[in-house]
Amino acid sequence: MQSHPLQALVSELHEPVHPTVVMSNHVHVYVSQAHKGELVMGAGVDSYNGYGQRGSFHVIERQMAAAIELFPVFARAHVLRTWGGIVDVTPDASPIIGRTPVENLYVNCGWGTGGFKATPAAGWTFAHTIATGEPHPLNAPFALERFTTGALIDEHGAAAVAH
Amino acid sequence: MRAAAVTGARGVTLTERPFLTMVNVRVDPASETAGRIEKTLGARLPRECGHTTASGPHTAVWLGPDEWLVISRADGTAVTAELREALGTDPGSVVDVSANRTTLELRGPSARQVLEKGCPLDLHPRAFGPGRAVSTTVGPVGVLLRQIDDAPAYHLLPRSSFADHLGRWLIDAMSEFRSAEVS
Amino acid sequence: MLLITCPWCGPRNETEYHYGGQAHVPHPENPGELTDEQWAAYVFYRDNPKGPFAERWMHSIGCRRWFNVLRDTATHEVLTSYRLDEPRPGGNR
Repeated sequence: MQSHPLQALVSELHEPVHPTVVMSNHVHVYVSQAHKGELVMGAGVDSYNGYGQRGSFHVIERQMAAAIELFPVFARAHVLRTWGGIVDVTPDASPIIGRTPVENLYVNCGWGTGGFKATPAAGWTFAHTIATGEPHPLNAPFALERFTTGALIDEHGAAAVAH
Repeated sequence: MRAAAVTGARGVTLTERPFLTMVNVRVDPASETAGRIEKTLGARLPRECGHTTASGPHTAVWLGPDEWLVISRADGTAVTAELREALGTDPGSVVDVSANRTTLELRGPSARQVLEKGCPLDLHPRAFGPGRAVSTTVGPVGVLLRQIDDAPAYHLLPRSSFADHLGRWLIDAMSEFRSAEVS
Repeated sequence: MLLITCPWCGPRNETEYHYGGQAHVPHPENPGELTDEQWAAYVFYRDNPKGPFAERWMHSIGCRRWFNVLRDTATHEVLTSYRLDEPRPGGNR
């Protein structure tokens, strides 16, 4: 598991022009507009490991260029603030949900940049795993053992922006 | 695009200098082979980042601790054949890479300011000057950047498929120097 | 923006480099004899320290050489860089 900086930014308030979330793995950005009017956007992780809760400016610059490529109308929006957090990324960029070699110790971790939409299913299957001692069929492939068996999960694109 | 120009006191011109000969040379700089290649070239292969050496139509540019680019006005096939003969069967390589990159010449009083909009290196005369060449980026494009003279003039060597984008980027960056500086 | 010193080209912006993860991970001497667990440890399991971390970087825009960097992952301070054939400065932790 490797810890990487992940950055996002919001613009100042604008009239509502963008009613949904758009993500692009091609130009590498996701962008939505909050109810008050801020554009909220983010992209991939900084390449290096870091616990500093901040990343490099060129990553922000790149994601703004990608957003303008998608929506030229955003070119006049000003950045209000940016921030960075730490995401823990597994070798296949998918979470680990299941048992560990230690009895009665269960893990639900390594979500990387993903997670929000998967929370209900992750909670349900994790509870099932703890209650029965066996993984639910839905989270069985997400076991820690996959890094020994080699049966990795090929879902790098499942997060908001692939990393 | 063949050329673009901004005239006036802060003028700057952009011209393509296509089809220069470029030969990539890789050899251990401490070997006798390197000595034979230097004799053929008529110049020592530079041993430090940023340095170049010149002899007649040839300029040798440092690319890495065992890698150089020979830029030449001479015929590519002939230069490659001569250097390959000097290499012989020893470890190393001599490859004609003339088609890999093209050459854009940026020249004029504002040339350095144009580059400074998108190049992370210090191009001030205290750090960079004629005869220097480095691999870096200009805008989003990787280039071999070489200063030619004090005009100042620079040669930018992007990979051919990136040249159109770099050319447009430079023309956009040049446009402000059309008018007098606002003080 | 990290300012990383390439052992051959000197200090350059982070944008000129490519990151290569943890340094000093030796290839197993006898890969055919490893168990699946041992092989998994070699392929997937890496240190993730908060503090000084020896890692590989490649000067992809410049001389295209791999080298090692000692960097503090908490402060992002680049402590030193060194060639692949040089030992980690200050020993192995």
